[in-house]
Amino acid sequence: MRSKLHWMLTPLLALCISLSYGQEKLISGNVTDQSDLPLPGVNVLVVGTTNGTQTDFDGNYTISAALGQVLRFTYLGQQSVDRTVGVANTMNIQMEEDAQALEEVVVVGYGSKARELSTSAVSTVTGEQIEDMVPSTSIDNILQGKAAGVQVTAANGRPGQTAFVQIRGVGSVNASTTPLYVVDGVPIDPDNINAINPNDIESFSILKDAATISKYGSRGANGVVVITTRTGKPGEARITFRSAIGTGERIPDPFNLMNASQKLELERQFAEIGVNAAQSLPGAISSPEQLAILRSLDTDWEEELLRKSFIQSNSLTISGGEEKLTYFLSLGYDKNTGIIDRIKGFERISSRINTTYQAKEWLNIGVNVSATRSSTDLPRDRNNAQNPIRALYDYNPYEPLYLRDDNGDFVLDDQGNLIFNPTTAGFPIARALSTEPENNRNFLLIGNIFADIKFSDMFSNRFTAGATNNRFNRTNRSIVGGVLDGFIGDANFPGTQTDESNIDFQYNVNNIFSYTDTFGEQHHLSANFLLEYNENIFTDVFASSRGFPSPDLPYQDVAAEATDVGSSETRRILFSQGLFVDYDFDQRYIISGSIRRDGSSRFGPDNKYGYFYSASVAWNIANEAFLEGTAINTLKLRGSYGTSGNDNIGDYNFLNLLNFNTYNGFTTAIPVGVGNAQIQWESQAILDVGVEFGLFDNRFNGVVDYFKKSSNDLLLNRPISQTVGDEDNSILSNIGKIENSGIEVSLSADIIRKENLRWSLGGNIVFLDNEVKELVNGEDINNGNTLLREGEEINSFYLVRYAGVNPANGEPLYLDADGGVTNEFSTSFQTLLEGKSPAADLEGGFFTSLNFKGFGLRGDFVYKAGNYITNFQRSSGVSIGNIDINQREEAFNYWKQPGDANVLPSPLFAATADQTSTRFLEKGDYLRLRTVTLSYDLPGRFLDGFGISGFRVYATGQNLWTLTEYEGDPEIGLGSAETAEPGDAGFVPGEFSLFSYPQTRSYTFGVEIGF
Amino acid sequence: MKKYIIIGISVLGAATYLGCDDEIQDLEPFTQGNPETFFNSVATFQNGVDGIYSQLWNYYSDPTFGMQGVPDILSDNVILVQTGRRSNETNYDYRYNPNSGGPVDLYWSECYEAVNVANLVIGQIDNLADGPEKDNILGQALAARAYAHFDLARVYAQIPTQSSGAAASPGIVYIKVEDGDTSDPFAQPSRETVAENYAEILGDLEEAADLIGDDNGEGRLNRNAVYGILSRVYLYNGDYQAAIAAADEVSTALATPDELEGVYLDANNAGIVWELAVNTSSESTFNNVGVIYSQSNSSATISEYAIDFAFWNSVDPNDIRRNVMQFLGTNQGNDYNAVKKFLGETGQVNGRLDIKVIRAAEVLLNKAEAQFELGLGTEALASLDQLRDVRYTSYTSGESGQALDDAIAFNRRVELSFEGHRFFDLKRRGESVQRSDFGDIIDGSGTPAEIETLAAGDFKFQLPIPIGETNANSNLTQNDGY
Repeated sequence: MRSKLHWMLTPLLALCISLSYGQEKLISGNVTDQSDLPLPGVNVLVVGTTNGTQTDFDGNYTISAALGQVLRFTYLGQQSVDRTVGVANTMNIQMEEDAQALEEVVVVGYGSKARELSTSAVSTVTGEQIEDMVPSTSIDNILQGKAAGVQVTAANGRPGQTAFVQIRGVGSVNASTTPLYVVDGVPIDPDNINAINPNDIESFSILKDAATISKYGSRGANGVVVITTRTGKPGEARITFRSAIGTGERIPDPFNLMNASQKLELERQFAEIGVNAAQSLPGAISSPEQLAILRSLDTDWEEELLRKSFIQSNSLTISGGEEKLTYFLSLGYDKNTGIIDRIKGFERISSRINTTYQAKEWLNIGVNVSATRSSTDLPRDRNNAQNPIRALYDYNPYEPLYLRDDNGDFVLDDQGNLIFNPTTAGFPIARALSTEPENNRNFLLIGNIFADIKFSDMFSNRFTAGATNNRFNRTNRSIVGGVLDGFIGDANFPGTQTDESNIDFQYNVNNIFSYTDTFGEQHHLSANFLLEYNENIFTDVFASSRGFPSPDLPYQDVAAEATDVGSSETRRILFSQGLFVDYDFDQRYIISGSIRRDGSSRFGPDNKYGYFYSASVAWNIANEAFLEGTAINTLKLRGSYGTSGNDNIGDYNFLNLLNFNTYNGFTTAIPVGVGNAQIQWESQAILDVGVEFGLFDNRFNGVVDYFKKSSNDLLLNRPISQTVGDEDNSILSNIGKIENSGIEVSLSADIIRKENLRWSLGGNIVFLDNEVKELVNGEDINNGNTLLREGEEINSFYLVRYAGVNPANGEPLYLDADGGVTNEFSTSFQTLLEGKSPAADLEGGFFTSLNFKGFGLRGDFVYKAGNYITNFQRSSGVSIGNIDINQREEAFNYWKQPGDANVLPSPLFAATADQTSTRFLEKGDYLRLRTVTLSYDLPGRFLDGFGISGFRVYATGQNLWTLTEYEGDPEIGLGSAETAEPGDAGFVPGEFSLFSYPQTRSYTFGVEIGF
Repeated sequence: MKKYIIIGISVLGAATYLGCDDEIQDLEPFTQGNPETFFNSVATFQNGVDGIYSQLWNYYSDPTFGMQGVPDILSDNVILVQTGRRSNETNYDYRYNPNSGGPVDLYWSECYEAVNVANLVIGQIDNLADGPEKDNILGQALAARAYAHFDLARVYAQIPTQSSGAAASPGIVYIKVEDGDTSDPFAQPSRETVAENYAEILGDLEEAADLIGDDNGEGRLNRNAVYGILSRVYLYNGDYQAAIAAADEVSTALATPDELEGVYLDANNAGIVWELAVNTSSESTFNNVGVIYSQSNSSATISEYAIDFAFWNSVDPNDIRRNVMQFLGTNQGNDYNAVKKFLGETGQVNGRLDIKVIRAAEVLLNKAEAQFELGLGTEALASLDQLRDVRYTSYTSGESGQALDDAIAFNRRVELSFEGHRFFDLKRRGESVQRSDFGDIIDGSGTPAEIETLAAGDFKFQLPIPIGETNANSNLTQNDGY
């Protein structure tokens, strides 16, 4: 009714304006909230015009308006205030909280709802909370520690690398455990998450329980991250420019590598003791003169191979709108060179435009489009000589960067140039970084259009069509005369190059037809009917050639001959219908239910269709009369139960298939393996019970949830006799069952809320427990060093138990299968270590934020405890057999004489000492200061007259401080990407460390200017 | 009005609903074939047969654990080079066990994959009309199936002539589609005896010999190849008369002194009865076979294994085989007797070459040894001299008795060195591996082998069954000792 009045009044007001034109004046004032605190960002609009502004950080505004015009002050969560301009030039406004509007809106899947009416466990992370994070990391990294139950593990420290995100524990063994990402209603491949400009994000909503994820059916089981991008607000254009630069470096190791003298001495000692592998090493055979030369060549390989990274981030956003039209435009540029010298790092250029238009009274339409190009140079991430990180630990410190002769003089090639030292590893990595380049480029378009049609107060419809299209290009080269070309290239056709291009196109069309009604004032009912079609089309082409005339012509047109070409395509189709029903009585008792039917091209012939449902209830106690007037502002109990699925099961697993390749140039047809006609999605049932509360004007807020998640029909490789001749010696079947349960707590408090001093604290924690419930025939699944066993923790470590060194002779001792001490080593001694797995028992984050007169200090911490890591990196640095490569100083501490305790085994027992055992299994607990930011907002009075509405400077440090007992960096996702990565059988994030791209700490400085 | 809109949307929805269901049902793989319908012509059957060869090639050419090199690394022909990457050290030091992976896993898995393709072809062979083309396909598939089983049997089980109890000892599982062995993917077959294995291997080969064509082109089996394999299998099985007869069926001529060098550069195919071939132009990224011994570039050769100093010195200075066996490999200031046979094609050091599985020289040596075993000393000497005449002229002929046996064995060791024979030859003759005391460097200095002896009868002569198999198949017993 009120809005209709406005519609009618508007022309009247317009009339007034024209009448009073020419009498405009400047009006200024201050806007505060109920508690007299200044409200920054309040929209101030001269009604009936496009003339508008926003209050600055101190709540001040200035606007020109004419006598008799009406100023409208609007702010989320506050009641709008309209004031007619009178004679006074100052208008101070105190806004009041709007009970209705304060109902914070939460995303609940295919739409949003007032938080008060939500029956679901949803965590929301807003754009403001992430704005100081180091810009060029992928946005999934930014979520770490921000929301309860959202477990983010940085894969490694490579700029642009996406993170491992798990919601509420490990939901699968072989299928992906990555949540479904939905950007403005369009699903997006998790690999492309790093293409999104963090400055474009309004909020992340993390859907965690059945009430919401069941709506996503066969794709919801890992949880859903709904990303909403920013939209403009009516009013004058707001221009924000941000710029930050910084630098990063490897987080220092908590141990020292040997220097030249130390390493030569260790070699001498080992040779003297009689270690076979040390007999011919320089430390053992060199003359004193040669030793002196070698010592003088002392080289710090970290300095030779790494550098300080350069980080740069610039962004520009322009947003605003009129009554019917809003717009948000952004441009972003991010660069992070990474810490590996001689290659380029990550670079991203992004742009976005989001608009909405109220085309008719009954029709609202909108378009969101973003385009991002990113480029990254990839170093090899594998456990061999081609990995620069492995090299900095491996290369002997007496082997300098450039080759020297026996006198320590430089050796020159025929052209008189220095020669990179191949070192003991036989591979000059410093040169290989430039002769074996790999560069990846992505061009990602995300776009969607939507139309909201309002048929009547009861019926409405939303149609959304969206698409993501990522073009990926990769160029791999082994350049003429390069390191690998010499070894594996063809002498007649020097130099090779492979170019790959693939297009990952996904489109999604959905329509939601809604009905909403109220009966007898207090009964509210709504129903939504969903139709959705989703298709993914992936096409790939590649070509390889050899014989390049010059390293400077990286195009295959110039190559002598093509050696390989290929093209391929895969598709996946998902077609769904869903019905979502919500009912509430007087906003106190709320019931919701959903059912969805998915048809998928991935499922077997007998399981093409699946049904997923949920039911949830909530009791909004705060709305009961008996709590009125108490300190309790929010109090809600809720519970949900339902099912969802995980469809990351690969295509065509239900068929027997032939693969084609060649033998001696002729086509070969080879069976891929035995298909399983019965294959279907992995299913999951979640129970969630939670309580949400807010006390003392919502200054103290909290959410506590208990959940139990049963993942059933897990796809496990049912091992079969290899005599069948199957390629992977197993048949993928839906047999496993695992269970995750836990408690999530998140709390936040505004401890001090004064005009010039504000201090808030907040944090979250999840306590997680998991158990393997069912495996194939109850038999263990052995993944080498981890095991799945019924009744035990998922991926429990399965290792031989180390029993220390025999003080009498320096022999390493182990426990045999029966627990007896033995001097032998056998993999048959492997034992499941109860409760020790790569999964954390608890993790989360917390922050503290202090604001004083424009100065801000915010610290964000992340922590994790209860997980174990096999420290292969340490094993490599103290292995006796590795005496030919550099060692940690710790390696000197070996057994030397009877009675020695707390020592490494005697080098004479390399065969039994250099083994994988619990000796290198370490606790992964850590607490890390993820970011600390010091900022200053220039007060409005300094900005007046410059046309600037805000000016902020800040300095951020990332990963500056860590508390851990782990002998290395405890933040491990990928141990060694090419050894084990997502998709590989038995891959478990964080299981071991093995020379992946190291984590970095960085310092950035930035400014933000608003116009 | 609203009613119509709702009806309209419902109709639209229903139409989409039906249309989309078809989309889901009709989606088929884009780049893969259907094994039930693909084999319908001679050409597609040959694709399947070439698939068997490629599976054999997989485990022979593996750059780390290839079967053209590992049997030499397990023997006294090579020594671990200290400046290498120490690849295969577990195997060189006989520390392999059911968990140690590498060759233990590779051969077991890949051989049976070859058998699987062979059975797919053999099982559907009646899709082809009777005639020589069908026979030739079937002959190739049968012979390749037999050869994969033969490799399994000699790696994981005793060889019949190895010991008196060998024939009755556990062999491998022989999988034949004709016997219904392939119908159940969850089957848990038990080991047969060695004697039963060799009977089935020989059965398949004999049948193949009657069916297969005379010439199928490079890299494929033909009549000569099948008889070549037969001569070896009969020798392994102690059927000396049959070995001689099979050898006599092979018409391939020995590589002449002029041709020999070109054989190892893939410049000619002289004396090659059967090889697993690679097209180094279109398959330029396929396995670098020679990496198992060394990696070279223009300035260095990073050898993994060098020729044993004592063995190298025992080869006659005039023997032309010296030239195809060895080259000077230098790394980090040390010189080594580097292995040359798999260095690369002419002018190349990338280690990418065809794998010589059976050569006329081996067939002749099979024959000579069989003749000796039958007491036909004169004939055996004549066969041996036939080979020696095209390798070195400075030999003194006329050996008999033990000296003749030794001469045949020695020439076999030299002729077939680094081609994947030595370990099996010692094994089948029930001899020990006895490595020399010399070091790895070219003058015999440096570091000697850590383990110098593998005594005859040691259980390590049979590789362990991989742990994955015994875990998945409880009926399959592990070899003694592991």
